[in-house]
Amino acid sequence: MLNNKKDDIFLSRWITGELSPEELTEFESHPEYEYYKKIMIGSDMLELSAEYDVDTALSKIKQVKNTSAQHSKPILRLWPYATAAASIAIILGIFFFNLDQSYTTHYGELVTVILPDGSEMILNAKSEASYNKKKWETNRTVSLQGEAYFKVKKGSKFTVSTKNGDVTVLGTEFNVQSYDTFFEAICYEGKVRVTHSNDQEILTAGKAYRNIHNMPSEKWTSDELKPSWVDKVSSFRSTPIKYVFNELEEQYNIKIKIDHIDTSTIYTGTFPNNDKEIALRTVFSTLGMQYKILQDNTTVVVEK
Amino acid sequence: MPENKVSICNEQVFDQFFKSHAKLLRNYLYYKFGDMDQAEDLVQDSFIKLWNNCSKVSLDKAKSYVYTIATNLGISSTRHQKVKFKYQNYVTQHTTDSTNESPEFIILEKEYLEKLKSAIADLSERQREVFLLSRIEKKTYKEIAELSNVSVKAIEKLMHKALVSLRKKIGNI
Repeated sequence: MLNNKKDDIFLSRWITGELSPEELTEFESHPEYEYYKKIMIGSDMLELSAEYDVDTALSKIKQVKNTSAQHSKPILRLWPYATAAASIAIILGIFFFNLDQSYTTHYGELVTVILPDGSEMILNAKSEASYNKKKWETNRTVSLQGEAYFKVKKGSKFTVSTKNGDVTVLGTEFNVQSYDTFFEAICYEGKVRVTHSNDQEILTAGKAYRNIHNMPSEKWTSDELKPSWVDKVSSFRSTPIKYVFNELEEQYNIKIKIDHIDTSTIYTGTFPNNDKEIALRTVFSTLGMQYKILQDNTTVVVEK
Repeated sequence: MPENKVSICNEQVFDQFFKSHAKLLRNYLYYKFGDMDQAEDLVQDSFIKLWNNCSKVSLDKAKSYVYTIATNLGISSTRHQKVKFKYQNYVTQHTTDSTNESPEFIILEKEYLEKLKSAIADLSERQREVFLLSRIEKKTYKEIAELSNVSVKAIEKLMHKALVSLRKKIGNI
């Protein structure tokens, strides 16, 4: 038993209750028994008090993961399609020769990019911008989907090209917002030209232009010196709530579910980009709407 | 590509896998090396390694992959700084309401529990890991054996030795 050199797992069998009744009775009469019993009771009283927040740990991993993801992912995607390798090579070739530089921001993320001429571009959350490195000297053009703020160095023509229209400048500071059906440009310094289908507008400092699908274009004067989102506040001026909800979704990676709500309701106001609770409360209380966050922590259901 | 669906490279699969295994891995590393911060760092590093090599590791191998990576990383980092098992902060005794049920309930003095805890801290790495996984995590020897890739017999021997050395350390109190 205990002193039996051959039975070197006796105690492990005892502590998990695997001994036969005879073995147990024999052990219980052994002088050592009470000491082992104490160890068992004592250790069964122990517990690990350190909580582990799995979600936080996972999101930390994702931060690291996302920065290295570009390197690992293409490898796995290419393998199953090895037969198509030739065409992929051509596409990559074009990509590399053009030296297209692109930037993508995720939910709630801001990225500042210094362009080759020293001009500055700040990308707001959930936006995408790219430019051609090689042609940059002769053609300062940035393609944009989403929202960005530009501080342009003096020089040749600088164009921000979006699918809704172009904004062209000669050294200035301005903000461009271009989503599916929403196009807005605000000039903070200097002078810019906005082209939107057949519309052409010259904006001087403090002037803003906006076109929303199915609504007449409008121009107004802004007294801000730079867009508020650069300081982590989203602000809206008579904007249909549809776009306000979009912005909430992009800043906080949430889904807003709206039923029977007129999304053309106009909203004027701000919300912080770094506090979800306050942001949601601000927007929905202004609109006089009730909302609740579902279990998954990402779906927000809005009720009138 | 049907096998792609259950690949670790699939973000949802990865997330799910992390959520079901990260905590036990952390506790395992803590029991083994005795440093909570280090344990959490090792979990992070090993899962990032898993992600970066996701195309080479199949889902059924992923668990033993992260355990092996984390253990190896832990061994090489603890070699530099031999830490005393710092578990006193985290391993605590739970409130005694459940133990009252036992007919052979023995009132264990605080001093006894402290002595037991420091005896556990003095166990060898492997013995402590097995002992605490069994006693705190309530893992069977088979489950523990799978985590560290050894035979059930080896785990049972370690457990037996752990109990014998605890007994020696504590003495006749």
